[in-house]
Amino acid sequence: MSASVKAAIKQGLFTALALSLVTTFVSPLFAGALTTDVTTAKGNETGSDNILGGTPTRVTWEAVVDEGEQVVGVDVVYPQGSSFSDESSIKVTVLDGTTRMNPENTASLDAATTTAKVNFSEPLQSGLRLRLEMYKVSLPNVDGAVSLNGTYKLADGTVKDLGASPSIEVTYASVAEGISNWLDQQPFVQAWNSVTFLRLFFQPQLIVSSIPTVATGWLISLGLVLVGFPLAIPLGLIAAFMKISKARILHILAAIYTGVVRGTPLFLQIYIAFFGLPLLGININQYVLSILVLAFNSGAYLCEIFRAGIQSIPKGQFEASRSLGMSGTQTMFSVIIPQTVRRVIPTMTSEFILLYKDTSLLAAVGVMELMLYSRSIVSLTGNMTPYIVAACFYLIVTLPLIRVVGNLEKRLALADNGGGAPKKKRKGRRDAFSQMREEISSTTETIEAAEQKVAEVQVETAAAMAGDASVAIDTNAAAARAQERHEATPTDTDERGDAS
Amino acid sequence: MTNGDASMGNTRTIVSLDNIEKSFGDNVVLKDISLKVAKGEVVSIIGSSGGGKSTLLRCATLLETFERGSLAYGDMIVARKEPDGRAVYLGKDILKQARLKFGLVFQNFNLFPHRTVLQNVMDAPIRVQKRDKGEVEKEAHELLSKFGLGGKENMVPCELSGGQQQRVAIARALCMNPEILYFDEPTSALDPELTQDVLKIIRDLAKEHMTMVIVTHEMTFARDVSDRIVFIDKGVIVEEGSPEQVIDNPQHERTRSFLRKIYD
Repeated sequence: MSASVKAAIKQGLFTALALSLVTTFVSPLFAGALTTDVTTAKGNETGSDNILGGTPTRVTWEAVVDEGEQVVGVDVVYPQGSSFSDESSIKVTVLDGTTRMNPENTASLDAATTTAKVNFSEPLQSGLRLRLEMYKVSLPNVDGAVSLNGTYKLADGTVKDLGASPSIEVTYASVAEGISNWLDQQPFVQAWNSVTFLRLFFQPQLIVSSIPTVATGWLISLGLVLVGFPLAIPLGLIAAFMKISKARILHILAAIYTGVVRGTPLFLQIYIAFFGLPLLGININQYVLSILVLAFNSGAYLCEIFRAGIQSIPKGQFEASRSLGMSGTQTMFSVIIPQTVRRVIPTMTSEFILLYKDTSLLAAVGVMELMLYSRSIVSLTGNMTPYIVAACFYLIVTLPLIRVVGNLEKRLALADNGGGAPKKKRKGRRDAFSQMREEISSTTETIEAAEQKVAEVQVETAAAMAGDASVAIDTNAAAARAQERHEATPTDTDERGDAS
Repeated sequence: MTNGDASMGNTRTIVSLDNIEKSFGDNVVLKDISLKVAKGEVVSIIGSSGGGKSTLLRCATLLETFERGSLAYGDMIVARKEPDGRAVYLGKDILKQARLKFGLVFQNFNLFPHRTVLQNVMDAPIRVQKRDKGEVEKEAHELLSKFGLGGKENMVPCELSGGQQQRVAIARALCMNPEILYFDEPTSALDPELTQDVLKIIRDLAKEHMTMVIVTHEMTFARDVSDRIVFIDKGVIVEEGSPEQVIDNPQHERTRSFLRKIYD
């Protein structure tokens, strides 16, 4: 208690000292002059009172003519980096107390020197207040205080310096904020925003100004999943081996792991990890913990994907390598896994997509990621647009991947059910293909076509059941069985692409 | 000793199965089957589907385990017969050595789809037998060109026809230099035109005195190529003898009805 009081006193002393110094040096400049007492600028950032640099704003400058002075002209000079545009304008007001005077004057803005010039035909008498309002002028794009300078001319022809005006706090405006503020002025944007739905969900200014913030969150989400997912792969692989192992204890351990993780919501797992570990006195960086939770969760799903993938390899492959004298390990690593990889890539990609979307759940425990960044703007503006922007950031990753998965699955289905289908994509292999064709009797072709239809129907059925990894793999297994039955017919040449 | 016995003594036994009994659950598939194959001999196993032919082959190639009886490759006992008839398999090392004694050609080829033709042939000799890569490669090329597959070394199995794939599978088995080669219905998955290519190779191997056991439905081929025909039905060897005896002049009613069905 006493410590904070001491600190407060100390701070107070410093402030007093600083103030006295300022007064000592600054006051003489004002003596017997035109005293600038107001310099303000209108807030020009959407949704806040900030004054953005480099962005048109309205600057108000006021000065009072001191005792014994007669002012005939004023030049207000803007600091380096300011700019006027064709649309900039100036309005002169002279007040006597609250009475508005209208002395004859010429006022202009000089863009080259960024100076506002005002000349009066009749000198302004002492006690009068001169107000200059300069519209659509831009202050320098810096972070910090700026002030206006300049000179004034007295009736006797002497020119004196104006004291430094009160300062204006300017905020640095990013490109996005610049564009956003430009949009603010556009008639078509105003027309668009006059529709309530469009204004609340698709406000152009907010789209532009929220992109940098949401993009930061996007990078974090992507980072979390790009680190977490590769960690999940060895975890899933080990669990898969444990699950197919003959050792009962290993099988049970893996079954508990996959059962518990897949049987409970990730949301709950995040809560337990984020609130449970600190209770145990374990404090891990929240991003590291996020990655660990994601990897732990995804590992269980990958385990099932790998297990199903390994078990979908035709039994004949195990038997062939066994009869060639290969050991269990040799069979696994040189025969089964290389073939499994090809089969599980589509489902693995689906799992990656799911995990990427699930990073949003981390928002609940305050991990700053895509979801939370967009929510922060939403709560500031009360507008849904940042969520729409967030949706787009999710989609730019997921949509291409969904497409990739689709293509891979199509190729896999073809490879598993023998050739025969799309000839267009296989120009380079036409020769081998037609040669194979010649060797196949027409009967086989008919059987093959029927076989393929069956497999296609199987694939479609599985696709209709949407997204369930195990179902997708089951299809692969079904297709693999179909292949086993009909290995006599040449299979798709696509397999070549995967030959190491 | 008679002359006949002396000549038998000179020919080494490659594999001997004694009193094999095998069941899947309650279903007994092999009942007290004994089979010996001498060096250079070609034995064909015929019989209707589900009769136990393939199971016998799978027992001999250690893909299945049998409950009773014994199995030996030459002097190497793989499964010992206990006094009560129960089969006891020996250690992993013995099984591994035994696997190097034979080659197996499957009905479905079972080539490795992710490896090229040459890699399919070379992988096992290099990885399992730890032989010199250059030597293996030379042998693989020789085998492939001998089987009419020259120039296809760098293709992957799916680019080949079924007949070509089966020929690669035979080359793969032979490249291990096995003492005996097993064929499990090598042409059943092939179209009739492609069958002949594969059969020709097996005939050529027979001429070179390769020891072979062939499970097949090709009667003409079996008669031409075999030294001995074994007819298995319902898990027992019904009839066994030279092709002339078994195919042309079957003694058992079951053999006759089977052959009638085949030829009709």
